[in-house]
Order: sequence, then structure tokens, then C-alpha cells
Amino acid sequence: MTGYFLRRFLLIIPTFLGITLAVFVIMHFVPGGPVERQIMRYKMAMQEGGGGGRASVEIPAEAIEEMKRYYGFDKPVHVRYALWLWNLMHLDLGRSYIYQDPVWDVIKSRFPISIFLGMTGFLLSYLVCVPLGVWKAVKHGTKFDFISSFIVFLGYSVPGWALGTALLVLFGGGSFLDWFPLGGFRPDNWEYLGFFQKITAQIHYMFLPVVCYMIAEFATLTILTKNSLMENLGQDYVRTAFAKGLNENRVIFLHALRNSLIPIATGLGHVISIILAGSFLIEKVFNIDGMGYLGYTSILQRDYPVALGILVISSLLLLVGNILSDIIYVIVDPRIRFK
Amino acid sequence: MKQEVLPPIEESVGAGAMAPPLPQKRSVSIFRKRIRKFKTLKRGYYSFLILLVAYGISFILPVLVNSKALVVRYQGQYYFPILKYYPASQFGLDAIGEPDYRALKTKVSQENRGDWVLMPLYPYSATESLLDLPGSPPHKPSREHIMGTDDRARDVFTRLAYGFNVSLTFALIVLGISYVFGVLIGSLLGYVGGKLDIFGQRVIEIWSSLPFLYTIIIVSSIVVPIYIPGRNLVLQPSFWLLIMILAVFDWMGITYYVRGEFYREKAKDYVGAAIAMGVSEPAIMFRHILPNALTPVVSFAPFAIVANIAALVALDFLGFGLPAPTPSWGELIGQGMNYLTDWWLVFFPLAAVFVTLLLIVFVGEAVREAFDPKEYSRLR
Repeated sequence: MTGYFLRRFLLIIPTFLGITLAVFVIMHFVPGGPVERQIMRYKMAMQEGGGGGRASVEIPAEAIEEMKRYYGFDKPVHVRYALWLWNLMHLDLGRSYIYQDPVWDVIKSRFPISIFLGMTGFLLSYLVCVPLGVWKAVKHGTKFDFISSFIVFLGYSVPGWALGTALLVLFGGGSFLDWFPLGGFRPDNWEYLGFFQKITAQIHYMFLPVVCYMIAEFATLTILTKNSLMENLGQDYVRTAFAKGLNENRVIFLHALRNSLIPIATGLGHVISIILAGSFLIEKVFNIDGMGYLGYTSILQRDYPVALGILVISSLLLLVGNILSDIIYVIVDPRIRFK
Repeated sequence: MKQEVLPPIEESVGAGAMAPPLPQKRSVSIFRKRIRKFKTLKRGYYSFLILLVAYGISFILPVLVNSKALVVRYQGQYYFPILKYYPASQFGLDAIGEPDYRALKTKVSQENRGDWVLMPLYPYSATESLLDLPGSPPHKPSREHIMGTDDRARDVFTRLAYGFNVSLTFALIVLGISYVFGVLIGSLLGYVGGKLDIFGQRVIEIWSSLPFLYTIIIVSSIVVPIYIPGRNLVLQPSFWLLIMILAVFDWMGITYYVRGEFYREKAKDYVGAAIAMGVSEPAIMFRHILPNALTPVVSFAPFAIVANIAALVALDFLGFGLPAPTPSWGELIGQGMNYLTDWWLVFFPLAAVFVTLLLIVFVGEAVREAFDPKEYSRLR
């Protein structure tokens, strides 16, 4: 088993190289890269400064060469990729074109926000969905099951970020109710707040985004829990337990439930990637400066070092998370053997 | 599940003049049975019918929702502007280009010379800016514009109606293309197995780990979306470009299922029999195994459509979707983000997305139930 997981971990390396290489090559060949943007900006500045109404400003070829050298675009793509990898191995992600800070510092400043949001959404959705799924399985076929199924379908049919826009219109003080702020992570006067004020302010700001995060998980997790428990309730060992005369609660909650939580526990491995990757759409709607939104803006602004840095972190977390899921699977279900 | 599949054995009564002929019992194919089962699941079946009818109607939208008149009777002559272009001068209007048929209608009825103009039920088009409305856009919902107008004074209802056709067509084409590739690759990996399978799995893992929206944003910024005016959406190159981009990221999902089914099916006796009979490999794969491996393909489809529509809405919202004047739900939601006080720009498109996806999810749930039944037996 150890050998199996060791091999899985080793397989991360080629996969990781594949992902980064693909994105690197795409980025290299996309027009409108940093050099071209720099040239554009320069031309605009010249036109405004000169004011002579000249249609075009020529930039000397040496200057363009200089710019290319500055951004590293003077070398062919494989050399650049090799250089980037070499720096990565020395834990150097380079410098952001836009912020002029080391990439790691730029990304690091967004960590707390993404972790906070992702963690809260994740914990709350497990706290709501698992009991709801269990209850639906116990009450299978009743009115409660039917109505809650309907609600689950409603949740599945609306993308979380799109719901966010509606929630903002409804509760953000636009035309209806003014219950929640229009966006942002924390109020501006955060430092001056007392401890309890901080808690209420944070809840106030995070309520709507967290609801949107939960919507995404809500349907799948609830149905997964329900189906898993239903399957176990049809098994022979449950029949045996009932035949022995155990009472219903004991059979359901002590025998069947423990087995049916196995597929849910395996999902825990992906926590690390969910927490960090987040949804940039939700972050964009609520104007939260998390990792996802940083990645999105860095691509729009062609800030490649930052975009690649986020790609490195998120793809590593994803790959490790996959393996972690399998490890958890083995831990909670000793019958499973990987080879 | 396979046991119920077997059709009732029909006895051959070739030389059976002596025996009374058995009552003819028609065998029912497994597919028929599933369709029958699907029809008994009312919620899914009616959702399917509603979607089918709505999608059908969405193709004749130009007759129902349009700014061009259906029929004009002018000075004893009949004209069909919906089919043919007439300059405004044809109807005695001193405007350049296409006449404003709504204005023509009021003018003609005022003149009262027996001429008339038959307008569609909802006489506005999805791309025209209604500049003569009082106030500045976006306009509130009113009697004439039941869902208001957007920031360029285009009628929201018409844009939503045409957007339904665009979204569903888009999602279906993406589904079709990604299925062709997904099923082909999945069946190859599953059938051939071995080294090809390991290699293919790795490529798929890399491909599916690429951040999908990231890559789409990068790629769509290469090619500036060009909108060719006056051309049907299906003939727009940018429409196909976006479809190809999405399909390139969409085919992996189905390969897992098809590959698994092929692994399971190829070990069965009928495949062995086919090999023994010398059936060619492609024939075994596609004539023998594939029909038996279609369950996940069918039950996965509605959810893939949901995902495709959601992806299109998200891309349009971000501004990386279909080119500008194309009627789109996501673009309207994006406008709503800029005009948060104008609730109709968010609520109506969101409701359109929501109802459409909900109906498809209902269909999907019923399809899954019919094609992949799981009976839960419970003691108590």
C-alpha cells in the first residue's frame, strides 16, 4: 500500500509538468502580452504628453528589445520554461509585472481571505448537508423528503455566483432591503473594532458570499449522503440487525450511518483545493480580494508570474488532494486495498 | 439489471403445423422499456415535453417576437417584410433603410385607407435599441416592455426569448461534439487497455487539471470575436470558435464512464463469441459493446447540458462569451451588476437560467431513474 501511494506521489511530477507546460506555452503565444501592453502604454503616454496630434509614435527598436529582455521574452519558449522551472525549484516565483512585488508576497496576502471564506463555506455545507441527507434517507418517500428534494433541485439549478447577483439586488440595499453590504471582505474601520464587533461585522460581510459557496455544494452533498445511507439500509447486515431486535435508531445511526459516511469522508481530501481555489466568480460578484479573483485579474492584465504562481499552488493542491482522498478512503474503510 | 433485459424467448413455429400457433408476443427492446419507464415519471416527462415545445417554438421566434411586420397591405399590394427586405420609401416613408413597421402601423391606421400592417405578437427585435422611449435606459418594466429594457434600450423579454434558443443550441452542439470525442476516446482506452490506457489516463488527468475558465479566458483573448451582422448565429465563426473551445474542455467527463463500461463489457461472453467468429475489432467495439455501454452516456447528457449552459452564462457574464449583440442571459446579469438598482436586469435573466436548468435537471433525474434504476429495499 505504501508503495502504491509512493507511486501516486511520484506521478504528481509528470502531471504537474504537463499542466504548467501547457499553460506556459499558451501564455507565451497569446498576443497582447506584457511587452505589447508596455508599448501600448508608452505610446499612449507619448501621445498625451506630446499633444501634437501625431497619429503614431515610433518606439526605437532597441527600446523594444530592452523591454523584451526585461520581461524575458527575448528567449525562446522552452528556455523560458526551463528558467521558470529552475527558479521554481528554488522557491522563486518571480516578480509581479503589475505590483512589482515578489509573486509569493502578492499571493500570500490573499491567503487569509480565501482560507476564511472557503473554510466557513465548507464547514457549514457539511454541517447542513450531511444531517439533511441522513434525515431525508430516514424519511424516504415522505412529504419531508419530497419537499426537501425539490429545494435541493432548486439549489442545483442556479449557479452560486448568479444567485449572488440576485442576493445583492435583494439585500444589498439597491432597490429592496438594505441588510448586507454590497461587497468586500471586511469593513474599512476593521482595526478600530472591538472583538465582538469584529465577529458581527465579519458575519455581516460574509453571510451572502458563504450562502453562495454553500449552494454549489448543497445539492451534490445532500444527495450523496442520502443515496449512500439508502444503499446501506438495504444491505443484509441491516436486515440482521433489525432481526436481532435492535431498535431502529440504533440500527440507522450506529450501524448503517457509519458505513454510509465513507464516500463523504473521501471528499474531505479535496478540502485543501476547495478552500484555496475558491470561486473567482463569487469573489468577483462580491468584490472580495481572494486568490481566485487575483488569478482572474492577473490573467486579464497579463501579469503572468502571478497567474503561473496561482496555477502552481492550485494544481499542486488539487493533485495532492486527489491522493489525500484515497488515503482517507483507506483509513476509514479498511476493506479497500490499492495496489 | 441484465436479467430484465432479455426479451421473452419466441418459439419458432416453422414446422409447427401440428401445434396451435402461440399467441404472438412482441418482444420489447430494452430501449423501449426504458422510454416507457421514463414516460411514467411524470415530473421528468412533462419537463421534457415543456422543454421540447419551448425549444421548438424558439425556432419560430422571428414570427412571434420581431420588429418586422409579418404582412403589410399598402395601396392594394401585399408585402411580406418578414421574408424580404423593403426600403422605407416603398411605403411612402422618407427614412433611409428598413422602415419602422410599428410607426408604419400607426401611420397607416390613422390614414384609414383600408391598408393595414400585421405585426408579430411582441413587436420588438432582440438587437434594436429603442431610442424613442422616454427617459434614459435601462427602462423599467412597463406595459409595452414587460421586462423592461437593458442599458442599450433593448427589450429584455425579446433578448431572453432569443437567448433561450442560443443557450440551448449552444449547449446541445457542445454536448454533441464532446460526446463524439469522449465516447471514441473512452471506448478506445477501455477496449484496448494496457499501455494506451495508462498513457491516455495521464493525458486526461493533465487536461482536466487545467483551470478551465482560466484557459478559456486566455484563449478567447487571442481571437477577437467578430460579429458578422445580418448573419444567422449558427453561421457566425465566433459561435463555432467558442463551441470548439468548450468542447475541448468538455470531453473528459464522459470518457471515465465509457471507459469503465467497456472494461466491464469486454470481459463478457458475447464479446468472446464475437471475437471467435472473427468479427473485426471496430465492429466489436461499436456494434457490439457500445450499445451496451450507452447507459452512462444517456444519463450523463442532461447534466452535461446543465453544465454547458452554466458555463456559457458565466462566460457571457465575464464578457468572454458570444460576441456582443448576440442575445445572452449572462450578459444581462453582467449588466445587472452594474445597475444594481435596476432589479429587472438581474431577476428576469436569472429566472430564465433557473427555470431552464431546473427543467433539464428534472429530465435528467427521470432519465437516470429510467436508464439506471436503483431499487432501494428497506425492511421498515
